[in-house]
Amino acid sequence: MAGVYLTGWSVHLPGECAEAVPADRAMELLGRRGLLYKEPATRLALCAVHRALGLPAKVRPEGAVRPDTAVVACGNLGNVETVAQAARAVAAGQAREVSPLAAPNASSNVVASTVARWFRFGGPNLMVCSGATAGLDGFALGGLLLRSGRARRVVLVGAEPADEVATRLYRCGAPATPLRAGAACVVLALAPGRPAIRVREAPGYPKWPDQPDRPALVFGGADGPPPWGDCYGAQGVVGLATAARWLAEGGAGPVGVVCGDPADGWRAVTVAGSGDG
Amino acid sequence: MARRPPRWFGGGGVAVVLAASQVRTCFGDGDQTFAALCRGDSGVAPLRHPDPAGINVRYGYHGDGGGPFLASRWLVDCVRRAVAEADLRPGRQRVVALVGTGLRELAAVEEWAVAGREVPRHRLHFRDALAEAVPGLADIITIANACSAGGHALALAQDLVEMGEADAVVAAAADGMTSSMLAMIGRVADVPTERVRPFDAARQGVLLGEGAAAAVVVSETTARSGLARLLATGLSCDAYHETAPDVAGICRAMRDALSRGDRSAADVDLVVAHGTGTALNDPTECAALRQVLRDGGGDPLITAIKGAVGHTSGSAGLVSLDVAVRCLASGVVPPVVGLRTVLPEGDGLRFALQPVRVSPRLVQVDAFGFGGVNAVTLLEPLPGGARWPAST
Repeated sequence: MAGVYLTGWSVHLPGECAEAVPADRAMELLGRRGLLYKEPATRLALCAVHRALGLPAKVRPEGAVRPDTAVVACGNLGNVETVAQAARAVAAGQAREVSPLAAPNASSNVVASTVARWFRFGGPNLMVCSGATAGLDGFALGGLLLRSGRARRVVLVGAEPADEVATRLYRCGAPATPLRAGAACVVLALAPGRPAIRVREAPGYPKWPDQPDRPALVFGGADGPPPWGDCYGAQGVVGLATAARWLAEGGAGPVGVVCGDPADGWRAVTVAGSGDG
Repeated sequence: MARRPPRWFGGGGVAVVLAASQVRTCFGDGDQTFAALCRGDSGVAPLRHPDPAGINVRYGYHGDGGGPFLASRWLVDCVRRAVAEADLRPGRQRVVALVGTGLRELAAVEEWAVAGREVPRHRLHFRDALAEAVPGLADIITIANACSAGGHALALAQDLVEMGEADAVVAAAADGMTSSMLAMIGRVADVPTERVRPFDAARQGVLLGEGAAAAVVVSETTARSGLARLLATGLSCDAYHETAPDVAGICRAMRDALSRGDRSAADVDLVVAHGTGTALNDPTECAALRQVLRDGGGDPLITAIKGAVGHTSGSAGLVSLDVAVRCLASGVVPPVVGLRTVLPEGDGLRFALQPVRVSPRLVQVDAFGFGGVNAVTLLEPLPGGARWPAST
């Protein structure tokens, strides 16, 4: 398989840099309009896409919907707090307290559809909720949308919150690596951008491919989480965006990116710059 | 009868076949569901679970049982039967499963929030359940695409087979009910809906139904059997409104399906519509059918199933697909259960008000979801009959 190119990227891990604003300060990047009742994962996803597209602060795309651009969003825990709160309200006989403005959040695809509406992307819209491998599952499906001619450009975004409900669910039955709230975005295309960053699947993981794709550096995997921690369903996208940034800044490649866990299994890709092999 | 050579389609180059289709609804399996539809039965019943007290939703379309992880159990049942029907050999063939869902296993998260029963995080999606039930699957990916999730799984399944990236794909879907979604539905209803009445002037709104489905997609060259030729699924996102549907977005999905399937609007002679019985969906869907199919020279018969089985969320598109396949096989189109007086916006469209004996040549299946995610599927009979090659 020829591989897919990354033509834009952003890593949006609050606290990592000044631009990576936390969810409650998303209006500093996105503007105030439209953020009411948006959950933290949705806000973080919007921030990551905004930055990957290189938009100025508080500027929002207007105009016609773009059917050539697909959205693939990845994450598992974005709406669990809303769902848990609503269920508790129903159990307490206070269903009337549930705001209808929160209704879209009861549907698990709210991150993907909100990104499409916010940035006017009218192509196929997918929400991948497949656990710890979601980020690279989403990458695989994004590549498929390109190869099958359903989109010319795929905005792949991963986002997870770290609210109390999300954190408790994340910990249940799994190692005690803390859940890291964050998001990332990469823009996928079949033609290279500048610099040319190419991604190929590494289906044999934990065995890596031979040269030229053998990674010089690996983010994540069975040996432990990468330096930034674990963003669960967003982890694969955070890894892709971090690898792209590393290579674009002159770091040595290729970079292996792995996401998964013992229950969900593992998924891996290699990310190479034009100087790698 | 000799097989026609494979046709060449847009993205791929391989004609694909629907090799198996299995469903579960409030009526039971696909045979039982289709028979109930043809009788005009509705499976509506007082809401059994979650507890309806205080949520302004009194009715639903339940199957047998209930209990924790209903969606996973029904999904496993449908996928097992579909894999057997298509005679798949996961492990020896590269077989991928794509599972569409609206509500995942969020009912288990609610149980945990209310009653403290812990849920392992990997049980929120369906890999674990399917991997255990059907060993050898090469990949299992859960796509949470609201009420058109099954249609989206079907689109990607066809892409994988056409691109030669899988030998066979099980496009599956499953959904139970969650009290959070019911609370939201109740919150926006003036009076509790008593039954789903698609395209009726006096429709009150939507009710949920439990449902699951599994369809097997293979290339025509490797198919051991087949139910229908899968032409294409068109996809679009309205990028318009959080919950309200948009005519332009739905029209794009319909036109995408016709373009990818290399068919003309005038050729569509049956539509299994999305038809949710809500104030907004039904007029919007009528407008899109008029713009794309009627204005394109078509005059299809229209049926819809949610008056009988409720809105089965992520499964809805694949349950409708199963009904479409049975229309092809039986030459009978069931009526729109619950439809008495066609809504004004449906004027001039042909709705099935009783069982209609007809042999469709090109069927369109609509599935639209929260957030404006649309999937429109086209299928046609296989040469030599609806069961192929058995009937040749």
